[in-house]
Amino acid sequence: MGKKQAGTGPLSRRPDNSAFKQQRLPAWSPSLTANTVLPTFYILSLVCLLLGIWLLITVENTHELKVDYTNAGTCEECFNLRKSPNDSTTACTCTVSFHVPTTFPGDVFFYYGLRNFHQNLRRYMDSRDDAQMVGRKNNLKTPSSYCAPFDYDADRNPIAPCGAVANSMFNDSLTVMYNLMDGSKIQVPLYRKGIAWYTDKNVKFRNPSTNNTFPLQQAFEGTTRPLYWQRPVYELDDTDSNNNGFINDDLIVWMREAAFPNFKKLYGVLNRAQGPFTEGLPAGNYTLSINYNFPVEPFRGRKELVISTVTWFGGQNYFLPIAYLVTSGLILVMAVVLTTVYVKVGKRGKNMEE
Amino acid sequence: CFSSSAAAHIGVGISGQEGIQAVLASDYSFSQFRFLQRLLLVHGRWSYLRMCRFLCYFFYKNFAFTMVHFWFGFFCGFSAQTVYDQYFITLYNIVYTSLPVLAMGLFDQDVPEQRSLEYPKLYEPGQLNLLFNKREFFICIAQGIYTSVVLFFIPYGVLSHATQSNGVPLADYQTFAVTTATALVIVVSVQIALDTGYWTAINHFFIWGSLGTYFTILFAMHSSILFNIFPKQFHFLGSAHNTLGQPVVWLTIALATVICIAPVLAFRFLKLDLKPQLSDTVRYTQLVLQKKQKPCGRVGRGVGGG
Repeated sequence: MGKKQAGTGPLSRRPDNSAFKQQRLPAWSPSLTANTVLPTFYILSLVCLLLGIWLLITVENTHELKVDYTNAGTCEECFNLRKSPNDSTTACTCTVSFHVPTTFPGDVFFYYGLRNFHQNLRRYMDSRDDAQMVGRKNNLKTPSSYCAPFDYDADRNPIAPCGAVANSMFNDSLTVMYNLMDGSKIQVPLYRKGIAWYTDKNVKFRNPSTNNTFPLQQAFEGTTRPLYWQRPVYELDDTDSNNNGFINDDLIVWMREAAFPNFKKLYGVLNRAQGPFTEGLPAGNYTLSINYNFPVEPFRGRKELVISTVTWFGGQNYFLPIAYLVTSGLILVMAVVLTTVYVKVGKRGKNMEE
Repeated sequence: CFSSSAAAHIGVGISGQEGIQAVLASDYSFSQFRFLQRLLLVHGRWSYLRMCRFLCYFFYKNFAFTMVHFWFGFFCGFSAQTVYDQYFITLYNIVYTSLPVLAMGLFDQDVPEQRSLEYPKLYEPGQLNLLFNKREFFICIAQGIYTSVVLFFIPYGVLSHATQSNGVPLADYQTFAVTTATALVIVVSVQIALDTGYWTAINHFFIWGSLGTYFTILFAMHSSILFNIFPKQFHFLGSAHNTLGQPVVWLTIALATVICIAPVLAFRFLKLDLKPQLSDTVRYTQLVLQKKQKPCGRVGRGVGGG
């Protein structure tokens, strides 16, 4: 409207009479009225209640069992052995017996759990080199300075994989044996692969290329193993080239740092192909046999085996259903209070229309 | 008149036949004395309202964002590990939450201009410093801290024992980071939606657009393309896809949002019910008027109504 005028005339510098400039844009002015707020609260409460009940029923269908083997059974001596780093190369095995009260139907997942291990410390989380672990040749030979002091060993050989995260990799081997009726024991077969994220296994961690012409060991020539490891990275799984080197499933699972000091990481999945395990994990007595390597006494941690079944919702996780139920109750209380106040103290019209 | 300008909050000059000296020295100037009424009762009042709402929201969203690190400190050995991805921290204030509050700061109106002129008493809160004082400031901060408690402890409670349906645990740092960041962006967006009293098309565009931008940038940064160029920078590869595909995560975010927003709604409703200000009653009258005029086919925006 106003722009049509040329630069002269008494009203030439008047601002445009447009909706934008005169702040007359069409707009919605919402208002918290009783007939929107009160039903919202009641509906919210109902939705939370239904969600809570549904999730609770779902979680009730899961089973979970924890076996703390830090110094249980015959593991007391291994626990004491590992207190000092002097005998770290001495092997130590121990066994713990446990009892599964009911059959765990369907797929059963085995985890190792750690308590009081802070994978979420800032300097710890920084101490890794993702470029090295994706197989880049330069970074293989010159690891990032963030990995210090776990980047080079005493002879200035680069460490592959460098950093504190890789160095502290969990190295207990767990074997679960099922005690049959006749007294003999059979090993519970586990799938120990396919336990990492797809993107981790296939994109984030790659071995340095070998062009399929030379063995993996040669690709890692010039590097050395992390200080706390017993074997170099190219011997993590001699049997499967798809699980050796940086793409080893256990390494990848460990490298995905946990957010909190008490965590569990996937160790294996029950192989239900044959034997008494076709329907799941049968109830009965079991023996856990451990190659006890990981020292937890220095930081007063605990180690455990966790066995769990899952539903679409995941494993046994009571927090969310109970939180929903509690929230539903609190919102209902709020709604009732609001309704009472609205009805008793002042109908909105009355207070508003003066 | 020079000493009075030292005591005043703003200086207004009238340009006229006596010259333009006053105009040069003043904050605002116009040509006729009667325009002072609109300057104070409409523009001045709106400006005060927008400023106060903007300030309160700004403190709130930053306290909600930052205090999560304080709670996380108890669980990470006080090593100053951030809860969020580094890029989220950079982009939170610049991209994800800046435009909605900017739109509110530019366009918000509690009552239309005609009403502002009709009820000069609406100017009183500005004179009495009612909308942003120490008490209001502490309420904004308290709300931010409460939000940060919810935003940390609800994901902590759920994710520390959660697993995916394929058995892989969800307790890893990157899942927690994405969950908390997403919950934060959603909660503060819902809060700005509650704070905005005047929804123009621009407000809609900025609020929904900011949410959309967050998810777009999130998936872009967690993609394999960027990872393959800079593996150390974009090491959250796969997190967005993995985390936001879990029903547990969305249920957690929904719960956190409900717990953060429900008390706010309740308090505001109670305040409107028990102690409505003049602007609330005028606004309510306006609403009733609009509803009455709707059946006539035209939505009156209070032009000439009254």
